[in-house]
Amino acid sequence: MTDLMLLAPEITIVVTGLVVLLAGLFMSTPSKKILAYFSTLGCIIALVLTINSLGTSATLFSGTLGINALSQFFKLVFLTVTLLVSIASIKYTEGNSHTEEFYTLVLFATFGMMMVASAEDLMVLFVAFELASLATYALAGFEKQNPRSLEAAMKYFIAGALSGALLLLGISFVYGASGTTNISAVAQNADLLMSSPMGLLSVVLLIAGFGFKIALVPFHMWAPDTYQGSPSVVSALLAAGSKKMGFVAAFKVFIVALIGLQADWTIAFAILAVITMTYGNVVALSQTSVKRMLAYSSLAQAGYISMAFVVLTPMALTGGILYALSHGFMKAGAFIATAAVVYMVFKDDKKSEIPDHIDNFKGLGKRMPITALSLTIFVFALAGIPPTAGFVSKFILFSSTIESGFVWLAVIAIINSAISLYYYARVVKYMYFIPAEGERVSEPAPYVVALLIAVFGVLAIGFWPEPFVQMAMNAADVLI
Amino acid sequence: MSGIIDSSSIINSYIPVAVFLVVSLLMPPVTMLLVKLLSPRSKAAGKHSTYECGSEPLGDARIQFNVEYYLYAIAFVLFDIEVLFLYPWAVVYKGAGVDTMVAVVEMLIFIFVLLFGYVFLWKKGALKWLN
Repeated sequence: MTDLMLLAPEITIVVTGLVVLLAGLFMSTPSKKILAYFSTLGCIIALVLTINSLGTSATLFSGTLGINALSQFFKLVFLTVTLLVSIASIKYTEGNSHTEEFYTLVLFATFGMMMVASAEDLMVLFVAFELASLATYALAGFEKQNPRSLEAAMKYFIAGALSGALLLLGISFVYGASGTTNISAVAQNADLLMSSPMGLLSVVLLIAGFGFKIALVPFHMWAPDTYQGSPSVVSALLAAGSKKMGFVAAFKVFIVALIGLQADWTIAFAILAVITMTYGNVVALSQTSVKRMLAYSSLAQAGYISMAFVVLTPMALTGGILYALSHGFMKAGAFIATAAVVYMVFKDDKKSEIPDHIDNFKGLGKRMPITALSLTIFVFALAGIPPTAGFVSKFILFSSTIESGFVWLAVIAIINSAISLYYYARVVKYMYFIPAEGERVSEPAPYVVALLIAVFGVLAIGFWPEPFVQMAMNAADVLI
Repeated sequence: MSGIIDSSSIINSYIPVAVFLVVSLLMPPVTMLLVKLLSPRSKAAGKHSTYECGSEPLGDARIQFNVEYYLYAIAFVLFDIEVLFLYPWAVVYKGAGVDTMVAVVEMLIFIFVLLFGYVFLWKKGALKWLN
């Protein structure tokens, strides 16, 4: 029973999902709104339970699941993102007859992500990874009538299925060489992995498998299309939640299990990080669709976080892990702001082809002041302007990179940050310095609440980083 | 270390395989020959029609299935696979150190979740055959 008590947040999420699914069957479409509130409540309870269990550390179910600072930190990231998505979706799913399916899928995806954060066994990790992936494939294609949404789901599904296969193949090689799937036991058998060519093969396969989910160049092809085509609230979940799941899985598998092969994968990650951040930032410069621009910026951010794999000091990992939390707030917030703009555009013109086109952001400061101000804060945070979460995380990550002697890497990252400022500032220019083409639009309350929570998170980490940095340091201690 | 593996004994151990090979090669022609010699012949028209478990053949073999057929098939496979999980449960049920009460409750929860899925399919009309 004590085992089950430690899993209270996960159980809350699953039970909420099942109740929503079942209750939705017997409700009329207008009354389904209550399901959205119920899911939000479930997220809040799970979040409180997770915060309460921050200090605990234990292993459950014969060492297949672990509760520790790292797992709880990432659960916090996933649950905050789900909470934001869940609140914003109250408006998005309004009047939709499939509300219960939307919320159940969101909650099941979150459950999968939380299990990945807790997994201490490669098989559990893979199954949880697939659970989160399957739920998000369906979510990406949630707008069945919208061909873009279907395209997004299809591309995501094919890329995801391939990455799942590569991942499983990599895991099977690790198992073949080391004779165990337990993550800490694999680390103990590191010499078996190193003496066998299967070790190197598994590193290559696992980098490819996780690379797809994290969207590292050259495994990123699906990401821009999927983030652009999916409903904005789902893009928020994908970019801010699902991507972090890839990171926590990669942290566990590479830094804990495959630490013996460090020499091989640090070089790979160094190259991938540099290519990813440069490609993401340079391509983002010329995008006219804001969601696509955010997708490429999300590639760039994944490149920054990957630097933690190269530097591998406790401080760098702290930076990377804190970046995951900050990126969760910034990216989820930015996508939800886009969702509000898409809502506004569809109000004027039901047939808009690219509702997130940058022209639709003209004069947003006049038309939707709260959304515009929040989006400004998010994009400046993504660029790393103080006093925001983005600045603190980047500062810790880049300074630890320089301290460990990777000056070249830090220089590339800082140049990239400077490049990124251009396309982030362009959005702000459109919102405040180009005159509006429409009336002022009243902003739907769910979007506003979600945006304000995200703004609060971004500014809280920016103004008062100590507790968050401390939490991230505790999480990094689990790894190294 | 020569001598541990006696190569002649390896070859000898394959003699049964060789016997099998020869017998299996001889068996079909011999049985076919026996059938030809002994069995009676029938020249009825029904002999050349397609075999459909004894009933009269109906229509073309290459027809399109209703897409709902696949929904049924998927639902069937899902529930079929889930039953597989009952098997290991039943094996450890009476084992040492298993609290049978907890085991029963756990399986009930599992079946209850499955039932959720069934009710969902039913209410969503996935089991209704539309034409």
